[in-house]
Amino acid sequence: MKKTEKNNTTLLSRIVVTGMGIISAIGNSVAENHMSLKGEKNGITDLEMFPSNFAGKMPVGEIKISNEDLIKKLDVDVSGITRTTLLAIHAIEEALQDSKLTNTQIADFDTALITATTVGGMCLTDEMYNDSQKDSIGSAYLSSYDYGATNMVLQKRYNLKGQINTINTACSSSANAIMYGARLIQSGRARRAIVGGVDSLAKFTINGFNALHILSPNICMPFDEGRTGLNLGEGAAYLVLEREEDVVGKKKYASLSGYCNANDAYHASSLSDEADGPYYAMKGALDVAKLNPSQIDFINAHGTATENNDKIESVAMLRLFDKPPAFASTKGNVGHTLGAAGSIEAVYCILNLVHQELYAGLHFKNPITALGLMPITAYKKTALTHIMSNSFGFGGNCSSLLFSKV
Amino acid sequence: MFYIHQSSSIWTQENFAATDFNEPVDRKIFALEPAYQDIPPGILRRMGKAVRMGVGAAMPLLQNNVKPNGIIIGTTNSGKEDCVKFLNQIVDYNEGMLTPINFVQSTPNATAAQIGLLTKNHGYNITHTQLGLAFEFAAIDADMLLLENPLHNYLLGAVDDISTFNYNFEDKAGAYKKEDISTKNLYESNTPGCIAGEAATMFLVNKNAQNAIAKLVAIDTLHNEDEQILKEKLQYFIENNLPNGEKIDLLLSGENGDNRLNKYYTTCEAVLNETTSIVRYKHLTGEYPTATAMGLVLACTILQTQQLPTTIIKRKGNNVAYRNILIYNNYKAVQHSFMLVSIPN
Repeated sequence: MKKTEKNNTTLLSRIVVTGMGIISAIGNSVAENHMSLKGEKNGITDLEMFPSNFAGKMPVGEIKISNEDLIKKLDVDVSGITRTTLLAIHAIEEALQDSKLTNTQIADFDTALITATTVGGMCLTDEMYNDSQKDSIGSAYLSSYDYGATNMVLQKRYNLKGQINTINTACSSSANAIMYGARLIQSGRARRAIVGGVDSLAKFTINGFNALHILSPNICMPFDEGRTGLNLGEGAAYLVLEREEDVVGKKKYASLSGYCNANDAYHASSLSDEADGPYYAMKGALDVAKLNPSQIDFINAHGTATENNDKIESVAMLRLFDKPPAFASTKGNVGHTLGAAGSIEAVYCILNLVHQELYAGLHFKNPITALGLMPITAYKKTALTHIMSNSFGFGGNCSSLLFSKV
Repeated sequence: MFYIHQSSSIWTQENFAATDFNEPVDRKIFALEPAYQDIPPGILRRMGKAVRMGVGAAMPLLQNNVKPNGIIIGTTNSGKEDCVKFLNQIVDYNEGMLTPINFVQSTPNATAAQIGLLTKNHGYNITHTQLGLAFEFAAIDADMLLLENPLHNYLLGAVDDISTFNYNFEDKAGAYKKEDISTKNLYESNTPGCIAGEAATMFLVNKNAQNAIAKLVAIDTLHNEDEQILKEKLQYFIENNLPNGEKIDLLLSGENGDNRLNKYYTTCEAVLNETTSIVRYKHLTGEYPTATAMGLVLACTILQTQQLPTTIIKRKGNNVAYRNILIYNNYKAVQHSFMLVSIPN
């Protein structure tokens, strides 16, 4: 067991972030999300965009733009397009423009696209149900349900030729997509990587998390003693990763200085009391970055506001750090966006670093009694060099990323 | 580059050399599932088919406390059966009180997670899901991990099952043949579509040549429908990865009887020497997104035995030995993969 604590990975080139794009319940761009974080905007509201018995009962972090409007805005002309794919296009479009990559660079054999998603085309719950029946006539969405379907649309739209891969490790998916993209660059298999994640709200996930009794009927309260579960959210975010030596003279937001994926190996849908998986992931990311725990200035916690996650994540922080650094969860702003969470929060960590500021974790009142950890609850300007971001998923899948100031 | 030390499969046939095939029924060849003695019965009962096959194939490689540093799985279809069962619950019970078991099992990382859980493996645990390249990206991930950590060992695998549901999606989208067909007539059918297959295939891989059964020299992928780009990419792949003085002795072709894809295999064959032997295997495995994992098992078998079972031969060249095998696969025209597999030395 100790063996997995040691990770021999060392980063060869410095991997830097040169572009970002995001759409979430608190904004349609990086700038809008930044304003909302500063302004303590709560994006969690009633479900409005599709009919469900849970509308009005289980609040969600919903993007209030219809699919029709997204199709118009993004000038998409693809039959069988899903909301998942539309949100991905919205975010990737911003990231590519922001990165100033040329069309030639985007279409280069050396440009990889790594997308994470857990919902994929299952946002089309009713269509998928009908198409699964033997005698129904197939809908326009037959090829849209696969997790890899979004990437197939993106590949055509941007004429991509490099590695195009989709990762699904449940709620840690996009942290793993970012990590995989960085490793493609480190190994020389790609020169640059467009990495991120997307998930849209769906009857499928709302009913699933409700069946697990971890959906909250109230707005979620990460790390609060009285937390009552998570709110689902939707969104997408992409980063453009490049080697530092390739981007001389170009804007660099931050470096991706460490990463690790480890498994809790305890239960299909909850974390162990000892917090093994979260601990190994956080420790492994520090080892890759060659940093000590004391050098971490802030942790963007997974902080879903479920009974299990927030307790065990706190245990992991107490196990790794003598005194845990400042931490907070943005799930109180946008809800839990599942496969998009790691990438959305990567953008938020980079905003922390670029602006040298921390954003309030919303809806917190009282610390978990036995543990006593208090998240950041007010905006503040502060010096930040290294930030850790945690993502933990079903199947004990735990990933941590480290972003550093450049 | 890495070495393959062991493989374990739950698949559609007893072995590649058999003459009495497990034939397709209604254009589906189902896997011959074992009794799963390595999985505790209480856990086995709750597993969906893909998870059961994946764990069942992995466990024999993880006996005697063999603990790889990570578990890397490629899959496209696993979880879909549970996914649609859960959708059925949502629709049938109108979003009422549902049981979460199908929901939890619907995530495609359930196989990698269950293997990790049953063997208490805290290492890297990942699931790649990019359709017909899911296994290749898992293999590339293993390759990169071994570049980063040359002393490590990894469990690399693939799993895809035929469920009523994913068969129906694919069938309506025109993936399968409309007519019934036997394995021996598959390649002469000259009709669109293939036959469905399923398997779970696991490998133990590392950087240690000693006692290895094969060496995966290189692996690459291409996303394109243009045969000319395929030709250039394949030539580049061979030139860059085949050592001087060596030749491709055998093409392990991913042909699946779908006449819409023949042009890609013809393009691939044209890049190779006319005396290169060619074998095919999808009449035995059926087609599914991670079928190349069984192609890799076949390559390992040929490198070890230096024999070509007669039932898989498309063209017998004048080889005296099989040292270098090219596995070429095309999935639905747009996804191509190349693996160069050689004898370990």
